[in-house]
Amino acid sequence: MAHQGSFEIEGVVKESLPNTLFRVELANGAIILCHLSGKMRMNFIRILPGDRVRVEMTPYDKAKGRIVYRFK
Amino acid sequence: MINLKTEKEIKIMQAGGKILAEVLEEVIKNAKAGVSELELDNLAEKLILEKGGKPGFKKVDGYKYTTCISTNDVVVHGVPTNYKLKEGDEIGIDCGVYYQGYHTDMAQTKRVGSQKSQNTDKIDKFLKTGEKALWEGIRAAKSGNRIGDISKAIQSAVEGQGYSVVRSLIGHGVGKKLHEEPEIPGFLDKPISRTPLLKEGMTIAIEVIYNMGKSDVIYSGEDGWTIKTKDGSLSGLFEKTIVITKQGSKIITQK
Repeated sequence: MAHQGSFEIEGVVKESLPNTLFRVELANGAIILCHLSGKMRMNFIRILPGDRVRVEMTPYDKAKGRIVYRFK
Repeated sequence: MINLKTEKEIKIMQAGGKILAEVLEEVIKNAKAGVSELELDNLAEKLILEKGGKPGFKKVDGYKYTTCISTNDVVVHGVPTNYKLKEGDEIGIDCGVYYQGYHTDMAQTKRVGSQKSQNTDKIDKFLKTGEKALWEGIRAAKSGNRIGDISKAIQSAVEGQGYSVVRSLIGHGVGKKLHEEPEIPGFLDKPISRTPLLKEGMTIAIEVIYNMGKSDVIYSGEDGWTIKTKDGSLSGLFEKTIVITKQGSKIITQK
């Protein structure tokens, strides 16, 4: 059975929650719960509310995402 | 997390793959004009149970059938209906077997009937391209290569003939769950060096999902499963489960 692939979308961090979870507002207006990706944790990249980030999402759960990049 | 399988697990999957290959061959043989999609689905289920396996797709949340039957412009996840096949129809049958705890996944597309007409050559060429793309992808799947090498092989085989690869659907790892990591797209969306490395023991289902026209697909509406091409063009589907070995790869879903 074919699987639907994940996709990346940009958004702005609205608030930061405990355990490196963040509420991110996407370009289409939706607000989702995102966690920080392992690679960003390893390289000690900090995310603050107001940062523009790239989020990886799966079509199977539209309420969650993974932050994979922080724009300058 | 990509789960690598042990020798014992691979042997179990090979037994399941053998069942699946035999069942799919029988179902494809029976896909003739006048047969309905539901009859083929019932036949697949009967054969799988006879041979000691269980229908893998029934374990997917919300799916009640053994196969996905995708005729003509249906891309994937076609729910079997009472539609009777006609001469010249192009039918894609996707099936999965759950055997002793492990899934296997396989799909094949074929033309119904054997009419020789001018249109036949165009569609037969379309199907041959898909099969060739799958073999190219399997050839690129060896330990030391990356998933991007498989994606590139499939994309150049399909788009080289003027068809388009569907972007939103992908191949996947197979094992205790039907869909596991990694994702194996049929096209390159990032540099090959940034895709996962292929290692010994990885069991993956390589899928070639492609359209005659443009690559856009839409949900068809009522059942929440069927996905059709946006421009109504024909769509083909070929899939095999393989395991990466030291010498390259071995096909799990074969007799």
